Amino acid sequence: MSGANPEAVPALDPRPPLLEFDGGELLNGLRGALAYLHANEEQTNQLNVFPVPDGDTGSNMYMTMQAAVAAAEDAGEPTSVSAVMDAAAHGSLMGARGNSGVILSQVLRGLAHGLDGHHQATAPCVAAALGAATRVADEAVINPIEGTILTVVRDCAAAMRAAAAQSADLRIILARGVHEAHAAVARTTDQLPVLRDAAVVDAGGFGFAVILSGFARAVVGLDLGEPQGSADTDHRRSPRLRAPGDPQEPSGNPAPLRGAAAIAEPVESWGCCTEFVVEGPESDDVALRDALSGHGDSLLVVGGAPYTRVHVHTDAPDEVIAIASRYGRVGELKIEDMSAQHRAVRDHAGARARGRAAGRRRVAVVAVASGGGFHDILASLGADQIVEGGHTMNPSTEDLMRAVRDANADAVILLPNNDNIILTARQVHVLAGDVDIRVVPTRTLPQGISALLCWDRDHPIDAVITRMQSAAQQVRTVEITRAVRASRLDGREILADDVLALMDGELAQVGSDERTVIEELMASLPDPPEVVTVYRGAATTEQAAHLLVVTLQLSYPTVAFELQDGGQPHYPYVLSLE
Amino acid sequence: MIHLVTDSTADFTAAEAASLGVHVVPLTVRFGDAQFRDGVDLQPDEFYRLLADAPENPSTSQPSPRAFAAVYQALLDTPDDQVISVHISRKLSGTLQSALVAARDVDPSRIYPVDSESVTVGLQLLVEAACRDIAAGADVATVIANLADRRARTRIYFLLDTLTYLHRGGRIGRAQAFVGGVLKVKPVLSLQDGEVQPQSRVRSRQQGLDALIDLIRATGDLEDLRIVHAAAPRLGVELRERVRAVVPDLDADIVDLGPVVGTYSGPNAVGVACMAAVGAPGGE
Repeated sequence: MSGANPEAVPALDPRPPLLEFDGGELLNGLRGALAYLHANEEQTNQLNVFPVPDGDTGSNMYMTMQAAVAAAEDAGEPTSVSAVMDAAAHGSLMGARGNSGVILSQVLRGLAHGLDGHHQATAPCVAAALGAATRVADEAVINPIEGTILTVVRDCAAAMRAAAAQSADLRIILARGVHEAHAAVARTTDQLPVLRDAAVVDAGGFGFAVILSGFARAVVGLDLGEPQGSADTDHRRSPRLRAPGDPQEPSGNPAPLRGAAAIAEPVESWGCCTEFVVEGPESDDVALRDALSGHGDSLLVVGGAPYTRVHVHTDAPDEVIAIASRYGRVGELKIEDMSAQHRAVRDHAGARARGRAAGRRRVAVVAVASGGGFHDILASLGADQIVEGGHTMNPSTEDLMRAVRDANADAVILLPNNDNIILTARQVHVLAGDVDIRVVPTRTLPQGISALLCWDRDHPIDAVITRMQSAAQQVRTVEITRAVRASRLDGREILADDVLALMDGELAQVGSDERTVIEELMASLPDPPEVVTVYRGAATTEQAAHLLVVTLQLSYPTVAFELQDGGQPHYPYVLSLE
Repeated sequence: MIHLVTDSTADFTAAEAASLGVHVVPLTVRFGDAQFRDGVDLQPDEFYRLLADAPENPSTSQPSPRAFAAVYQALLDTPDDQVISVHISRKLSGTLQSALVAARDVDPSRIYPVDSESVTVGLQLLVEAACRDIAAGADVATVIANLADRRARTRIYFLLDTLTYLHRGGRIGRAQAFVGGVLKVKPVLSLQDGEVQPQSRVRSRQQGLDALIDLIRATGDLEDLRIVHAAAPRLGVELRERVRAVVPDLDADIVDLGPVVGTYSGPNAVGVACMAAVGAPGGE
């Protein structure tokens, strides 16, 4: 079953119509939405077009929604829908992470506008709020494209407004909305070529449908007949939805969606990022996943006997390893203390901020980076504050805002240095009061470095911004990583653990080892670059990186190669070509 | 008659100076114990060869007041003779100081030392324009007033291959902000109002040439321009090609950067002096 007949649901529902809900019920609905999103967080994360370590949509939306609910709860007695939604919208803005999190926060902000001044929510006022939500969300994105969360929000809102024109029963309106949201999610695969190639639906759109489903379940208690992931439904918590293209779907699309189900509270502790492989005939990925579920956050189990790769954030890595070793030989073990890293970064930034607190600056730069080496490079080029974050950890609006405050300047230039952080950076101005926030939309760290190279505190800010923007465009970025799962991308078959080279975000080369992939990529360039900077990742040894650079130098004697310690996680190498 | 004196940092060849009728006082460059008069005992080619092999950076020093005095005395032959002495920015060198001391000793009423607030090709453009004024019959006051007007419209943009030499030579000024980076960068600098100003940092020569072109564009309409390079003739030619696309009606000469400024720029640097037209953004 891929979705219920929308007319059939209300017709079979014997309950009396629901004509309005109040602030308490709204808060309850938001809590329900959060719980449902929690249950479907990993499911949403797995809907990733690129099989690379990347900003996790499910986690980003979950953390954004969590901030919304926390703020609504902290606002005191839920006296009116207006008060609850206002608090939730503000909370979501503070906690917004990733592009989908930011768009979600804009939807909530639009709803808050629409509900403004209302004590109770009725059908007409819900319809008006949805109109506002669509408009505000659309405005947040500069070049909206079809087949994303925006399309899903718009289609869903249109269906609900049409339903509201015919009926005052919020149960009917919500049922229609949930149905349309899931139908719109299913359509995204055909709306966006990248989604079609990867045989997935849009993750943000799916997340939104999950949120609406969770809300409807809590407010009107409906079982709305969404597609259920029956095979892996865990009775201990809310049922998980099945996204179209899920391996359990009988329609039999290729199965790109694999991975973890365990979700613990990801916010309080960062734990240790623990990675290893389990080798042996018993190293079954499903069994391992079950055994390890509940032992950490962000559990990722990929591959399968005789070679399964495990990634988990846990406070007790020894425990996890002990469990895993029952299934085979544990190797390639890597444990990083994320809390310590995080603390170190915070302390570092804090120390710099304190050192300067005496004088307020005219202009300062706040940059986002992941990896100690990149932190040092950006600081040496004059960035005043550096916020930890990147592919796998997107900072929230509030994280950026804190750095903006610590920078203590009249104007702050933000360098997001990641595709999935640009939109978050663009929201900071809402919270920034009288600080003039300028975003130079750098998509990669090399772009951010190029931009920062022509930063000058004493030049007029508008001229500097123009120069920084154009400098960012003059560098090409190559990111080398490993596929976290098998996939099909741009017509190429990718196996789990294949080495991928992304050039400016597009898949450029696939292979089995880093050096060959980089050499093939260099060979594919129409003109060799003048300068290539090789930033080695946290997991790449200096010897390996040195060998790579020496080899490249032999093949390209006219190119100047420079090796730097980037310290980035998950990406063995990041290269800038200039 | 009005005589023009400048110093060796104007980077005129002996032949050019002779044909302009300009008198050049050399600064001094020292490699260890070996001492050379800039442009007299040491030409750019030889200097960059020595620089490449030198165990330590050369040092430079201003001409002595006595060297200036000798030139001034020789020029003030008849009561009609006057001297305008145009020199490297006083913020970069003590040369003007020596000229002022010599002028006071020789005949302050007939010797006019002027700060060009520039150097190398920028100083060249100003000296040549003053020569034209003199040839056209302008009096000393007019020549000096025109110099002051033109120097305010003249700036030089430089792309250095490295910050190393500027840093070692201690002439880094505000470009100090560029020091200490982890990455290897090529600084883009300007010399304006006599001072070195950091403009931007780039990673590649191509980006550097782009930055120079942007700076030229921002200067607006130009009255004159001239290119200089430090042991990088091909880079000079490349810059001229790029400049031609932006300023098609001015044909830029290319000049070898001399030993004194070369000590601080290091090899493989390229620069362009721009004299903005009156009323252009860079001409105010």
